[in-house]
Amino acid sequence: MEPRLTGIDRREALRYLGVRGDKPPADVAASLDKWEAALLKTARPRAVWRLFDLAPDGTLAGTAFRPAGEDIRRHLAGCGRVVLMAATLGAEADGLLRRTQVEDMAQAVILDAAAGAAIENVCDNLCADLAAEMAPAFLTGRFSPGYGDMPLEQQGEMCRVLDTARRIGVGLTPGGLMTPMKSVTALIGVADTPREKGEGGCKNCAQYENCGIRKAGGSCGR
Amino acid sequence: MEDKFIILDGAMGTMLQAAGLPVGQSPEVWNVTDPEKVAAVHRQYVDAGTRLVCSNTFGANRHKLAGCGYSSAELIAAGIQLAKKAVGPGVKVALDVGPIGQLLAPLGTLSFEEAYDIFKEMVTAGETAGADLVFFETMSDLYELKAGVLAAKENTHLPVWASMTFESSGRTFLGTTVPAMALTLEALSVDAMGFNCSLGPAELMPLVEELARWTDKPIILKPNAGLPDPATGKYHMTAIDFAKAMAPAAELGVGAVGGCCGTTPDFIRATADIFQDKTPAVRSKADRRGVCSAARTVELDGVRVIGERINPTGKKRFQQALREGDMDYILARAVEQQDGGADILDVNVGLPGLDEPAMMAKVVRAVQSVSDLPVQIDSSDPAAVEAGLRAVNGRAIVNSVNGERAVLDAILPLCKKYGAAVVGLTMDKNGIPPTAEDRFAIAERILDAALGYGIPKEDVYIDCLTLTVSAQQDQAAETLKAVRMVREELGLHTVLGVSNISFGLPAREHVTVSFLTQALAAGLDLPILNPNQAAVMDAVAAYRVLSGEDKDSAAYIERFAAAQETKTVSAPEADMTLDTAIAKGMKAETAALTEKALDAMGEMDVVNSLLIPALDKVGDRYERGEIFLPQLINAANAACEGFEAVKKRIARRGGETVSRGKIILATVQGDIHDIGKNIVRVVLENYGYTVIDLGRDVAPEAVVEAAIKEDARLVGLSALMTTTVPAMEKTIQALRASGHDCKVMVGGAVLTEEYAMAIGADYYSRDAKQSADIARLVLG
Repeated sequence: MEPRLTGIDRREALRYLGVRGDKPPADVAASLDKWEAALLKTARPRAVWRLFDLAPDGTLAGTAFRPAGEDIRRHLAGCGRVVLMAATLGAEADGLLRRTQVEDMAQAVILDAAAGAAIENVCDNLCADLAAEMAPAFLTGRFSPGYGDMPLEQQGEMCRVLDTARRIGVGLTPGGLMTPMKSVTALIGVADTPREKGEGGCKNCAQYENCGIRKAGGSCGR
Repeated sequence: MEDKFIILDGAMGTMLQAAGLPVGQSPEVWNVTDPEKVAAVHRQYVDAGTRLVCSNTFGANRHKLAGCGYSSAELIAAGIQLAKKAVGPGVKVALDVGPIGQLLAPLGTLSFEEAYDIFKEMVTAGETAGADLVFFETMSDLYELKAGVLAAKENTHLPVWASMTFESSGRTFLGTTVPAMALTLEALSVDAMGFNCSLGPAELMPLVEELARWTDKPIILKPNAGLPDPATGKYHMTAIDFAKAMAPAAELGVGAVGGCCGTTPDFIRATADIFQDKTPAVRSKADRRGVCSAARTVELDGVRVIGERINPTGKKRFQQALREGDMDYILARAVEQQDGGADILDVNVGLPGLDEPAMMAKVVRAVQSVSDLPVQIDSSDPAAVEAGLRAVNGRAIVNSVNGERAVLDAILPLCKKYGAAVVGLTMDKNGIPPTAEDRFAIAERILDAALGYGIPKEDVYIDCLTLTVSAQQDQAAETLKAVRMVREELGLHTVLGVSNISFGLPAREHVTVSFLTQALAAGLDLPILNPNQAAVMDAVAAYRVLSGEDKDSAAYIERFAAAQETKTVSAPEADMTLDTAIAKGMKAETAALTEKALDAMGEMDVVNSLLIPALDKVGDRYERGEIFLPQLINAANAACEGFEAVKKRIARRGGETVSRGKIILATVQGDIHDIGKNIVRVVLENYGYTVIDLGRDVAPEAVVEAAIKEDARLVGLSALMTTTVPAMEKTIQALRASGHDCKVMVGGAVLTEEYAMAIGADYYSRDAKQSADIARLVLG
């Protein structure tokens, strides 16, 4: 189960860029192609995951980590086990972004969006692999600290449980933010019966109040 | 090392967890609370054959221990003392030091000096407690490791071992390669280096083989027990399989063997069984050498171009950037030189009235944050040279010394201490000798002096000095002759600043290229030049074909195949206006049209009646959703070329910088996501404001201090995460408490207008365009 970056979802990248409508300007579309190719070449995607039994009190068995908040509790309802995962595009992607900011900020903005879509792609690929590995069990969607009422601070605990510093080179700043920046931690419930998709939906999202897509009547589909 | 293998120990954390340590708790605390359990692990390893144990201090740094109730020094003293007691005589105890657990800038926020200080606290405590050596393990950041090694070398008398963790790609998580590790650690004079953690023994063997070609130092090998099962994190390799997989290391010249994650005393016993009767293989001498950054190594086995553009000499615009701390301008020179084909970047920041050592460190770090080229520290001030050598990540060149004894005695010890290569200029207090023979004699003197300081011959590069041919015509031939003599008779690499040859002549390029070609033929391999001059780089490309360095002319063909494709520069349309050029983001056209306008109008008129209105039109279209952020920035960037033209015009007549007012920008403390702030900076600058960008993770006090010092009427704060918005509120409170009269605008993904008002901001800025509107409102 090698972590892999296979491409970027154009719609997602355009959404990060705030480009409305279906037809992006030609130069933006061309730049996205360019940065996708650059990221495929430069990024060194890595991921680490572990499977835990979910104790009745909500802690991950064998650890002191207990995901906090009502929303994650709902998200994991009916799941006997949970996958804890972390993924990153690696230090090189951050470096490329730093360098591009010096060269051309407009391109940097597009690269940033492309990199955002790229780390999602790495996570999606990992989840697809996990789903195959865990079958016939069913997986919920990913839920990350900062969604809904799950505090962002728990990101640090998740990194420590997964030993991300040693395993995939993801560290924490004193403020609890992950480095490299294009990194994700998430929880995925493992259930014996299928779950309804999109449970909770937008309301789980930390961006609920701000989200331009929701205000426009749409959804990012996560 | 000795004629026998040194048997090291295996995992500590795993053993302590088996003894009941909860996952996630600091193992080092047990040095005080359960010393017997830690001692028991040491004893088990010694019984298994270990002759050098690592103390239970891997994470005993003040960052990781924060909140545990014990200090770094306490836990280290306890850890060393209990280990010494447990192992008895005949077994050595190494102070084990792991990564701090926080990344250094630019990836993280920790400064090099802080990292040094954290390590200093550890190593001095370790020496006091009686450790036999310092063993840095599991490092993935070469820069952090450098801070550690320097801390140990400068504050203790202990031998230093250094080991890094690699992926099967041959790089650490942060991109460090095996050659870069070898060159950098050699430069810092560690006593042994190698690999631990990372992978299983079999996967690490190719890396060991590579390392042996780059260093003569003893090699350490402490692999994991294979690869862990992802679902459980457990290792399944058996002790016997591990030991068998370790066996080839004996032939590769490894000197010390042990295990890391997942290994136990059984693994060490099995390994010791294999290794204790063998003698370490005698390695052939390392045959590769070069200079490096953390991620890129440049071997001197062909022509290597040193880029000369990071240098204020004779460049008004560069001087202005240095004085104003405009790092982006300087960094753009680094990036464009790398794109142009430079192999090494010369960094010179000497400017009267500027704190050269501080600026050197700052610029070297900044350059290395955007470019992975090795650097050449260019200064004659020993303090600036040392500041640069400390700041550099990798192995640098020092430019330069000359034949003067005082200069040699001031600079060469620094080159030795930091393991840098050095450029020697063939001149002395009597000036530049007119004959090749006399220059050669100085080169010999410099080489002798370097050897005397323990600097190896291959690290001495000689610059036979280019004189302007229009002024001293006979000297061109002498220079070429001297280059040939130094190369052939002394066997040294040679450096030459090439561009100077044609100074004062028309169509300089022809003379420069011809001189360069002749110099290369004479043996020049480190030309210092402007890599953005295509003709000069074309000559280098051609030379590499003729010398055989460019195998099958592959690079040459690629260079010119690519050049043909892009050779469709459209001529600017005659009727193009500045409005259109800016709206379309056309930089060259904007610059040209601005120049034209400046011939007819005053600088401020061009700014206020042409550049700003053009930007406004773009801004309106952005607000109407007709164009998007990248296009807005493109337009702003194009306008920037216009402002550059204005700035150059003003700099030329020595006038004051054009500015519509000063704005402080900062990403608040704890937050490292700064692209949003950077976008705002670009847009504000391109609207003609002077932006003082304090960077990211900026403490409230630093914002207040800058606001007062710069007397800024507008402060912009950015925070991306919910967790860092409180720091924004603190910063606003600090600004208000200081009594400094200024407005505060805030922005960031998680902020709303309501929230912005609640934390005391004056303005909420939705995006970069709105920040420009606010700036106009506040500053006009």
